[in-house]
Amino acid sequence: MGRYVTRRVLQAVGTLLLVMFLLHLLTTVAIQLNGNPAQAFFGDKVASPAQLAAVEQRFGLDDPCFDRVGDPCLGPFAERLGQYARGDFGTNLRGREVSDIVAAAAPNTLRLFCVVLITWLTLGMVLGSVAARRRGSAGDHGIRLTSVLIDAFPVFVLLIVYRYVVAVPLHRWAEETFGEDSWPPYWFKPSFDPDHPWATVVVPGILLGLAGSAAFIRLVRAGQLESYQGDHVRTARSKGLAERHVVVHHVVRNSSVPVVTAVGLTFAEALGGAVITEGLMNIYGMGGVLWEAVRNDDVGLVLGIVTLLAAVTVVVMIVVDVAYAVLDPRIRYE
Amino acid sequence: MRVRKAGGTGPEGTGRAAAERDGRTASSRAPLLEVRDLAVEFRTAEGTVRAVDGLSYRVDAGRTLAVVGESGSGKSVSSLAVMGLLPDGARVSRGQVLLAGEDLLTLSRREHRDRCGDRVAMVFQDALAALNPVHTVGYQLTEALRARRGLSRRDAARRAVELLDLVRVPNARGRVKDHPHQFSGGMRQRVMIAIALAMDPDVLIADEPTTALDVTVQAQVLRLLAEIQAERRMGLVLITHDLGVVAGVADDVTVMYAGRVVERAPVRDTFRAPAHPYTRALLRSIPSAASGGPQGADARRPRLSVIPGRPPSPAALPAGCAFHPRCDLAGDLCRSERPPLTTALTTQPHDDASSYPRASACHFAAEVLASHDVPAAASGRPRPTGRRDARETEEPTDA
Ligand SMILES: Nc1ncnc2c1ncn2[C@@H]1O[C@H](COP(=O)(O)OP(=O)(O)OP(=O)(O)O)[C@@H](O)[C@H]1O
Ligand code: SF4
Ligand SMILES: [Mg+2]
Repeated sequence: MGRYVTRRVLQAVGTLLLVMFLLHLLTTVAIQLNGNPAQAFFGDKVASPAQLAAVEQRFGLDDPCFDRVGDPCLGPFAERLGQYARGDFGTNLRGREVSDIVAAAAPNTLRLFCVVLITWLTLGMVLGSVAARRRGSAGDHGIRLTSVLIDAFPVFVLLIVYRYVVAVPLHRWAEETFGEDSWPPYWFKPSFDPDHPWATVVVPGILLGLAGSAAFIRLVRAGQLESYQGDHVRTARSKGLAERHVVVHHVVRNSSVPVVTAVGLTFAEALGGAVITEGLMNIYGMGGVLWEAVRNDDVGLVLGIVTLLAAVTVVVMIVVDVAYAVLDPRIRYE
Repeated sequence: MRVRKAGGTGPEGTGRAAAERDGRTASSRAPLLEVRDLAVEFRTAEGTVRAVDGLSYRVDAGRTLAVVGESGSGKSVSSLAVMGLLPDGARVSRGQVLLAGEDLLTLSRREHRDRCGDRVAMVFQDALAALNPVHTVGYQLTEALRARRGLSRRDAARRAVELLDLVRVPNARGRVKDHPHQFSGGMRQRVMIAIALAMDPDVLIADEPTTALDVTVQAQVLRLLAEIQAERRMGLVLITHDLGVVAGVADDVTVMYAGRVVERAPVRDTFRAPAHPYTRALLRSIPSAASGGPQGADARRPRLSVIPGRPPSPAALPAGCAFHPRCDLAGDLCRSERPPLTTALTTQPHDDASSYPRASACHFAAEVLASHDVPAAASGRPRPTGRRDARETEEPTDA
């Protein structure tokens, strides 16, 4: 087991380096072809050559390799790796430390993801289990129809409809019913409120989670159906165990492996969803910050955040792999 | 190696045999496990299929009943019905399953499984699939003991080791934490047997416990089963498609064909003189049954079938006797009329007081029985020398 984890971690570090290098190559080519982004620092103002040079130097864009198309600029890459290793992730165009920005934004994204994950798992496990247990029944068909409907609605449609049609009357109704200082009005606030980060993130999180839950419902249903028909479930029943014991220890437990894998895979996808959700709901999170950074040509910030997101994804993958090995002993001894 | 049998039932004379039908017995004491006229149906796309039709058998403490038949004859389905484990789409349409006199089929599914969990255990056909890949064998061995008998974790751990020791898995202490895929086929089957023994059942149903194993391992596992059965005086229902397996271990045999019983007899009678052409054909497919005796057959038995044709699908049973398309004795009567299972067969009296009256479902049962020393020559296959004499066949081979 220890060796398995070590191997996975080494693989992950390699993957991360590769991602960073590719990212570096892409930005380098973009700079070489489009010209120096130092201009972005000045917005619409025209900067003097001296001012430009100073900015270039500050953001590490003064290396002559950026003027030579096709040069991979390994020097600046190594330099940046060195800075990252020392915990220095650079600043954005306004001189704010990227690490400070991340420290402020990441918790909100994490909150969002908590809600998303809980939504996925509750909907997936509950509806999927019910569908598997009562396969072929009206309930099963109803759940299938629901999951198809969920799939048919893109996240942003769901969010826009919620924000501009549903949220305002709901918010007003909640204020009138529960009073302005109670929790419910915050749940339905159409935009993020940094003073109530949990309350205002719940509904967007549920909506984002809802969008991904259809896949989970189907996955849990299929996995459990397969388990129900498995010979080992029959063996468990032959022991005279209570049905609930059989379902928990032999059906749900055995079908948990694909579900955990799917959590990992869908996680990467949800990062994209988070960008849209945070953008639309004004949540100050990683997605929102990235969205802004790209629009402002803020190369330093984009690089820092994308690197961080890549690192998070890689870590999630490791966690999933390890969970997979813990859940399915057949993996461990390969 | 004949494991004996202190005779779990009262004395039963052959005179009474004629009065008994389909395993029904007038014995004052209820048999340990008795199946009466069991029928199981599957609902399929092509309509209702009767996979088991009128199966009856009984097992008593300390005795072994072999249920023999080709693939698809309904052996597994009938055992699942006994255990209350039929899959979706299958139902018992007729019959009784009496465990010490109590009809399990009248109980709720919950109670049925409860009873079986306590008293009837099953060793499933495919051990790799029947064991849960994600739990340790230790967990699976004592799961029921912990959940149903409230054993503590410590006691359960100790019991798991004992159980593995009992089925002679080497290094039991070190292996309880292993998972099923880490065991070889033979060891896995032993683990399966140990799981079945965990609740100390009165009856063990072993569904082809050795089919997936290679020949030497087969013999070991069979011997183990027989020893444990004798030691605990369990009733054992040994399911197999291989009559050669039966000889050394079983007391009685029930031969199934296309969901029905075609012959039922004490094992030695069957080997001495089969009363049904199908049984006779099965016997011929054991290479050395005629010469080396049943035990000699065990060690080197290639799986071959000399019965021409294939067993019919229960969805499309031939009219009359289901065996007639493959039977060399088939006449017009066989094609039109189904032979009933009749017990009015005279057999030579033998010393072994058996609870099993002979029965055969063949219009020409008497002829088949009478001609029992002819077929060896008629089979057309070169045979080793030696008279096909029942007494010789029965000679115990464990010196
Ligand atoms: N799930 C099912 N659906 C429909 N019919 C079935 C199903 N399972 C079994 N049957 C029918 O029941 C018959 C008996 O099957 P069973 O598994 O009892 O055979 P068996 O004697 O155990 O054979 P084997 O030696 O291959 O294990 C089969 O021929 C098949 O037609
Ligand atoms: S009844 Fe006829 S076909 Fe059937 S086994 Fe007997 S002789 Fe053969
Ligand atoms: Mg079978």
